[in-house]
Amino acid sequence: MKNTIKTLCIGSFILLSTIAIAEKNIATLREETPLNKINESPAPLQNASNKDIKRGRAYPMQPPVIPHKIDNYQLDLKVNKCLSCHSRTQTEESQAPMVSVTHFMDREGNFLADVSPRRYFCKQCHVTQIERSSLIENDFIDIQHLLSK
Amino acid sequence: MSMSRREYIKYQAATIAATAAGISLPSSSTNLITNTTDSELKWSKAPCRFCGTGCSVNVATKAGQVVATHGDIKSPVNRGLNCVKGYFLSKIIYGNDRLKTPLLRMRNGKFAKDGDFTPVSWDTAFDVMAEKFKKALKDKGPEGVGMFGSGQWTVWEGYAAVKLMKAGFRSNNIDPNARHCMASAVGGFMRTFGIDEPMGCYDDFEQADAFVLWGSNMAEMHPILWTRLTDRRLSAPETKVCVLSTFEHRSFELADIPIIFTPQSDLAIANFIANYIIENNAVNTEFVKKHTNFRLGETDIGYGLRPEHPTQKRSKNAKTAGKSTPIDFEAYAKFVAEYDVKKTSEISGVSEDKLIKLAKLYADPNKKVMSLWTMGVNQHTRGVWMNNLLYNIHLLTGKISQPGNSPFSLTGQPSACGTAREVGTFSHRLPADMVVKNPKHRTFAEKIWKLPEGTINPKPGAHAVLQNRKLKDGEINAYWVQCNNNMQAGPNMNEEALPGYRNPDNFIVVSDAYPTVTAQAADLILPTAMWVEKEGAYGNAERRTQFWHQLVEAPGDAKSDVWQLMEFSKRFTTNEVWSKELLAKKPEYKNKTLFDVLFKNGNVDKYPLSDINKEYNNHESEDFGFYVQKGLFEEYAQFGRGHGHDLADFDTYHKSRGLRWPVVNDQETLWRFREGSDPYVEKGKGFQFYGKPDGRAVIFALPYEPPAESPDKEFPFWLSTGRVLEHWHSGSMTQRVPELYKAFPDALCFMHPADAKNKGLRRGDKIKISSKRGAMVTRVETRGRNKPPQGLVFVPWFDARQLINKVTLDATDPISKQTDFKKCAVNIEKA
Amino acid sequence: MITLLKRYWDIFRKPAVHYSLGFLTMGGFIAGVIFWGGFNTALEKTNTESFCIGCHEMKENVYKELMSTAHFSNGSGVRATCPDCHVPHEWTNKIARKMQASKEVWGKVFGTINTREKFENKRLELAQHEWKRLKANDSLECRNCHNFEYMDFTQQSPRASVQHSTALAKGEKTCIDCHKGIAHQLPDMSGIEGWE
Repeated sequence: MKNTIKTLCIGSFILLSTIAIAEKNIATLREETPLNKINESPAPLQNASNKDIKRGRAYPMQPPVIPHKIDNYQLDLKVNKCLSCHSRTQTEESQAPMVSVTHFMDREGNFLADVSPRRYFCKQCHVTQIERSSLIENDFIDIQHLLSK
Repeated sequence: MSMSRREYIKYQAATIAATAAGISLPSSSTNLITNTTDSELKWSKAPCRFCGTGCSVNVATKAGQVVATHGDIKSPVNRGLNCVKGYFLSKIIYGNDRLKTPLLRMRNGKFAKDGDFTPVSWDTAFDVMAEKFKKALKDKGPEGVGMFGSGQWTVWEGYAAVKLMKAGFRSNNIDPNARHCMASAVGGFMRTFGIDEPMGCYDDFEQADAFVLWGSNMAEMHPILWTRLTDRRLSAPETKVCVLSTFEHRSFELADIPIIFTPQSDLAIANFIANYIIENNAVNTEFVKKHTNFRLGETDIGYGLRPEHPTQKRSKNAKTAGKSTPIDFEAYAKFVAEYDVKKTSEISGVSEDKLIKLAKLYADPNKKVMSLWTMGVNQHTRGVWMNNLLYNIHLLTGKISQPGNSPFSLTGQPSACGTAREVGTFSHRLPADMVVKNPKHRTFAEKIWKLPEGTINPKPGAHAVLQNRKLKDGEINAYWVQCNNNMQAGPNMNEEALPGYRNPDNFIVVSDAYPTVTAQAADLILPTAMWVEKEGAYGNAERRTQFWHQLVEAPGDAKSDVWQLMEFSKRFTTNEVWSKELLAKKPEYKNKTLFDVLFKNGNVDKYPLSDINKEYNNHESEDFGFYVQKGLFEEYAQFGRGHGHDLADFDTYHKSRGLRWPVVNDQETLWRFREGSDPYVEKGKGFQFYGKPDGRAVIFALPYEPPAESPDKEFPFWLSTGRVLEHWHSGSMTQRVPELYKAFPDALCFMHPADAKNKGLRRGDKIKISSKRGAMVTRVETRGRNKPPQGLVFVPWFDARQLINKVTLDATDPISKQTDFKKCAVNIEKA
Repeated sequence: MITLLKRYWDIFRKPAVHYSLGFLTMGGFIAGVIFWGGFNTALEKTNTESFCIGCHEMKENVYKELMSTAHFSNGSGVRATCPDCHVPHEWTNKIARKMQASKEVWGKVFGTINTREKFENKRLELAQHEWKRLKANDSLECRNCHNFEYMDFTQQSPRASVQHSTALAKGEKTCIDCHKGIAHQLPDMSGIEGWE
């Protein structure tokens, strides 16, 4: 009797899991639209979050994301709009975080008088974020979770 | 402490992992982790998983998890920097929909083409797969099977695939996705120099006085090389930057000379520069006389479309596209004389003033010029020509193979050079620039591989676009896709790719880490280990070969591509796949499995497990019982050593931050073809383009010819597709990193505000982009990073929900067979 | 012929001899209205965006740059046209600005900025004129629409709300001090205050 129940349990578990796992549409990024159909409802165009609230970093070396909109920020041969607040000399007035000290280092690791030209185009590493939940959950585990609490 | 359910699961997983690894979790008595055993991380090096720049990253692991990544300070490529994608590498392997078990389309417990994806064991997966491959081989011969690989394969994965296909199945139907990306560059190198890959290296960035970008948005696509270019431009202000493109993009932010030209007219601009150099006596006569030949190329060569396509029918010389005849300097000068500033300005829409400014950069003998190009030049129905024309300019002025004087073809994929090109995973190639057509090359390969003479098929196989056509036509029936997402990435998905994969006669296998669009179109999906879940090697755009160790375990039953290839080879015996005549030449191979013949051949299985660094796991070697990667690499390296493609020994690469081949006497080569810098150049020659028998590079006379498709009344816009900084290729990795997804979540149609207004559209409106082939629905963007001129729209292809390749045209360069993703005609209407 | 001319000259020289005072007053008034009206209409005509971008120098440079900014297209649909920011709304200042514009006509005729390169070379000088003017009039043209009295700081981003409730409120700063380059691209800003 006990064994029968056990077999039954395992059997139904396998059955259930098979039913649950056999899938038609597995391309998770596409959600439910079949490949031969057009997704007729692309997400509305969404502007960058402008809340000015710092977000956490996944690890210390991760470049912080930009917590405000940067529409039309000019960043070219003539002007660097980002540095007009984030440069060392401007932060007292702007109260914006100063660019990290690593940004003053050239390729050889020498500290320069000002931000190294190799770091001139901020947007190569720092990006804005929209307010939307993740498309796919990410199971990356923060080192803090690995070690404590 | 409150915990969400997901956090709890994660925590639980961590606890299990930590317990397994013997780490005790400290109590939270302090808010700072100070104990060395806890705070110390294990750092290892690995090349970045994304573009062809080949940055080195440091990867931290703890308790079997990747916990952090950052730019490698010791790497000469990136000196501590990464782009935003690189900084988030830690997360690319942790998307929670990782494939952990093989999935087969089944109904009632059996394979069914229209069945649902059902988890199966590796045994079942390979049983069904082997049955299908055997049937195809039996019915159609070697041409009935095919494989589509990748410039993201590690060196040994590509090498094992070539062996299995070309030697095992004797089929040349193997091509990499690098066909979409680098084939025209390869064609250009082979035609001009007779040997593949750039002569210069990244050290040119710090030496050049001028940079010219031809159809390359380095600011977004090669961000770290862009930091080097920016560093040079801003720290030496006399440096000049010229950016040429069909639309304005981020690289224009640094442009001293910004040039927007009419699509396809780059051919005319390049010829104009050559003409300007000749007319203004800026030719380096001595160099040209000593080191170059002139040739006139075939014209009217078609567009690589299906033969019955009306555009293709009109082309006279489609069959002899690669032909050329020798001419002299005078004939060449006369040929380009047609491209004066006035005519070129008319064709290109670029002001005469700007054209002259650009030409002067090249003509000035005291300016060291670095030309850089990527997809704008390569994804072009005259891509090989454009590559040739750019070399013309550098050869006429002798600005080549010297620090700062460098025509530099950039690559898109991390190992487009290292795997696709050097290993020769193309349908016509063998390792180290050898080709299947050449009997000497075949014999050479057969000797190294210890195979009977005549094993390798002399006829080139089907290239990328042709493979899809052959699938649709039912000519290839068993097909294996590894390490790429070609259903999303390849052109004309609606008419060719999707009908091909879903053709009931065909069995499609897709190996991937994630359930991609291509996986969705498959019949069998194999879960695959990625990046640092396996030991690997990549070769970047400056000929730098870089290695990494396996740092973590792949999830579930996921296995690396090389494991899959080798394990699958065990399912075939020589009797099943080789002819009697062939076996008669090597009777000892009778009844052996392909695994025995190809991988247990005394070369590949030569190195014992004890050679493996004890600090790292190696799942393939543990399974097969020998050091798989070392064996494959050392056998492969035999092809190039002594032939201008010398690689160092296996162990050296694990210690270094990569080396640029040819590596001769432990010395890497920075600039090829120049005496004193390249050991292959004979003494007293000065320069020697030794890829050609007479040591001379070729200057080609090639005209402007119109594109395959141009806007008309019904389809009034040019469509150019491409990438964005935050996503890599089809987004299968980067869309799963929340920060990258939220930085650029959806594909958009970038268009000129005036075009939008004329169409009654505003920013954010839902629109339908359609061509003769298919359609996509998206949103209008009139602002932002890309500013197309009126009459052109730009749509990125990373978004699996918005497949722009339903719209694109499968026209290719007739010589390189590379698709032109930058030019087709579309209509736009409100949806 | 000469007789006819002499006759008109006489009327013009001594109109009262020939016409009644009432008629002359009336006539003068009407002529004045027509002239004044015509002048103002013409003036207003020059005060429209379509007039401004009639010159390719404006259309291809500053107007093109404006098109991607919030002053061209935004949530409320209230947009700024060229004269809204660049021509004083008050009459005497407007006339003074229009007289200055004669220099711009000169520039147009002689092609001072008829290519992008020439325009870029002049950009700093042109921008500085506007910054100086707006600094001097306490950003009057900004304030024609953006009235400090009616700003709801809670609806602004935290950064903006801090600056507006302090520096701007105290009069230490005026709009143009921080909001340079919001409608057009900036020139090379090296050496400009706040951009060092």
